[in-house]
Amino acid sequence: MVDFSATVSQNEFLPDQGTDVHAIVQLTCQGAGSAGRSGLGEVGEIIIVDTSGSMIGDRVEMAKRAAAIAVDSILDGTWFAIVAGTHQAFLAYPRVFSGQGMVRMDQASRQAAKAAIASFRADGGTAIGQWLLLARKLFASVPSLVGRHAILLTDGEDYNETPTQLDSAIRGCIGQFQVDCRGIGVDWKVNEVRKIAQALLGSVDIIPDARDLPQVMADLVQQAMSRGVADAQLRVWTPQDAQILFVRQVSPTVEDLTHRGSPINALTQGYPTGAWGDESRDYHIAVRLPAKSVGVEQLAARVQLAIGAQVLTQGLVKARWSADPSLTARISPEVAHYTGQTELALAIQEGLAARAAGDDRTATVKLGRAVQLAAQTGNEEATVKLRRVVDVSDAATGLVQLRRDIDRADEMALDTASTKTTRIRG
Amino acid sequence: MSETDPTVSGPEPDLDPLESVPAPESPPAPGVTWTAPTEEAPTQPWSSGRDPDLPGCDTCPICGGVIDPDGYCTQCGAKAQSGRDHFSEAPASWVAGVCDIGRAHRCNEDALATAATDEPGQLAVIVVCDGVTTSQDSDVASLAAARRARDLLWSDQPQGLGLSRTRASATAQRLRQAIQQANRVVIEATAPDSPNPASSTIALALIDDSTCFWASLGDSRVYWLPDQGDAVLLSRDHSLAQSQIDQGVARAVAEASALAHTITKWLGLDATDLEPCAGHLRLDQPGWLLVCSDGLWNYASAAAALGRTVERAVLEPEPTDSPLVLAQRLVDWANDQGGHDNVTVGLARCSV
Repeated sequence: MVDFSATVSQNEFLPDQGTDVHAIVQLTCQGAGSAGRSGLGEVGEIIIVDTSGSMIGDRVEMAKRAAAIAVDSILDGTWFAIVAGTHQAFLAYPRVFSGQGMVRMDQASRQAAKAAIASFRADGGTAIGQWLLLARKLFASVPSLVGRHAILLTDGEDYNETPTQLDSAIRGCIGQFQVDCRGIGVDWKVNEVRKIAQALLGSVDIIPDARDLPQVMADLVQQAMSRGVADAQLRVWTPQDAQILFVRQVSPTVEDLTHRGSPINALTQGYPTGAWGDESRDYHIAVRLPAKSVGVEQLAARVQLAIGAQVLTQGLVKARWSADPSLTARISPEVAHYTGQTELALAIQEGLAARAAGDDRTATVKLGRAVQLAAQTGNEEATVKLRRVVDVSDAATGLVQLRRDIDRADEMALDTASTKTTRIRG
Repeated sequence: MSETDPTVSGPEPDLDPLESVPAPESPPAPGVTWTAPTEEAPTQPWSSGRDPDLPGCDTCPICGGVIDPDGYCTQCGAKAQSGRDHFSEAPASWVAGVCDIGRAHRCNEDALATAATDEPGQLAVIVVCDGVTTSQDSDVASLAAARRARDLLWSDQPQGLGLSRTRASATAQRLRQAIQQANRVVIEATAPDSPNPASSTIALALIDDSTCFWASLGDSRVYWLPDQGDAVLLSRDHSLAQSQIDQGVARAVAEASALAHTITKWLGLDATDLEPCAGHLRLDQPGWLLVCSDGLWNYASAAAALGRTVERAVLEPEPTDSPLVLAQRLVDWANDQGGHDNVTVGLARCSV
């Protein structure tokens, strides 16, 4: 039986004339069960493999092995399909021309799918938007699906589409399915693929060595299969006259949800969170209220998790105006921690963008700030990855020099991991 | 990097997709070109449905919206005032009181109970209790105690005996009994094994035919504030501050010390001495009888200072002779001073 709970961390005390309330709301899911097994509806999984010409050689062979392993990991009874992507999108399995574009996993379909994968060869261009649009149509051809997840493997730039075409395809897929994206090698664009993953509620990562691909695929499918809650929604109620400054997921990764809301009613916004397994996610909510007189207490936000129309848990974010500076001056350690982690993600991305643009001065300043923030907030992973890109003279003050011998894969790994956060210690 | 020239490749827009399907045996492309049976309108699975209407338990005092079961307004977010956090009583036009949580405390452990005849000056009871914040369930205990004392004094009223010395002594005895009954109620509200048993002060005033009998345990107070002449503090605190005052320390100094509010007598399981300070006074001129908790007198302790405060509150913003209006103004005043504690004000208007 799935169970959600909410914990709010904040300093509810505002000074006289204070207006801005910040809180970290941790939502925890327990008892999610396996995808499609919780009685909440059927789930579908689509594996999208780049078979463009650049995949020729080892890469396509590794991708074929990886896709076969993914097929082995999909639980029996799950609806699935395999898409091969070039400058067009092809349905590799099931080989049907119309009707339902997905089939249930069983022994026979597993063997047939693996046979289809074995026939892949690398040829043609890259049009990722087409692949996504085909996946959307395939999912839609099985209306009973409540959970829809895809894994997208690519190794190259989206060469045969304009950015506008890709953006339009992504927009068409928002809310239709989730996709975890993995880039092989160093010839793909982190920004391009991150855009897809963020909009479609998935993750992005680099696989520098194609030999790691089979393990990565197995892990991704198993993670997707462990998400027994197909789709849940974050809801934020704020009082009339209040303004939502931002709504951010801050753990396990930083994702700005502020502009992804849709109105539930006049005072409540709903934000997509996708599928849940047994896990915790932290959200940073900032609300601006009209200032009230000292002594007044009010609610600044109700932060809820809903499945369908049913609200399963609620955390209350409060505001109390006080004249006591010992109460109002304190900053919640959780809010401070995640504010630092969000700034860290931004500093890394801006630093790498500046380096790519040849602006080494800005890159040095931004990455120096990132080193400082990573040290302050105890983000070991970011610290390790930053040290492959900069030489650190003094982490406390953020004094760094850009390294001359930066491995492109290290730089991309830093970029893809930039949004990963650590939890507060203690 | 793609190896295909984008200017010459890409799907032909006019090509019938089915014609490009190769034979399965020798696929030039890695799969078939599949056509969706019907393009369904995109659905937003998470934007379906609204919150079911939540049952309202109350109406918001600020905006009139519905109060959610979580205790806050569904429209403006205002904290619902529970009946325990703020309430007033006005049993007659000449007797009223207001009990308020103040600005700093999370719980209202003050309590108020009143009763009065319609005929001004004839008969009234005002009881104020102040539950001790550091003990458990003091909010429940203090209200139960105040009501028990009030009920006892109201129901057992001997009538028409005149005001003999005997009767005065009998009335004083009834006040003591009321305090003992109140103590029993506090103990009943306490778990026997409580490490921190509920405790409370009590101050009561009984007006009988224009004579005021008072009794008090702890540091809730009874003042007499005549329209003309000097204000008088009738009760005498059982507190460390009062002990210091008794030893010659100035009131302002004694009441500013850290332990000033430590009381030396109280109601509760661990009470050792239930003997109140008590007395009576003939109310032979127009004025206000005031019973209050320290949430009020903290900001004007000396009788003269409190007298001036009440005088101002009577006149501003417009003159009033309503004890309910005056009690609310005094509570508002205490909250304006910081509202550091719960505030309770009980008043009787004497217009002999």
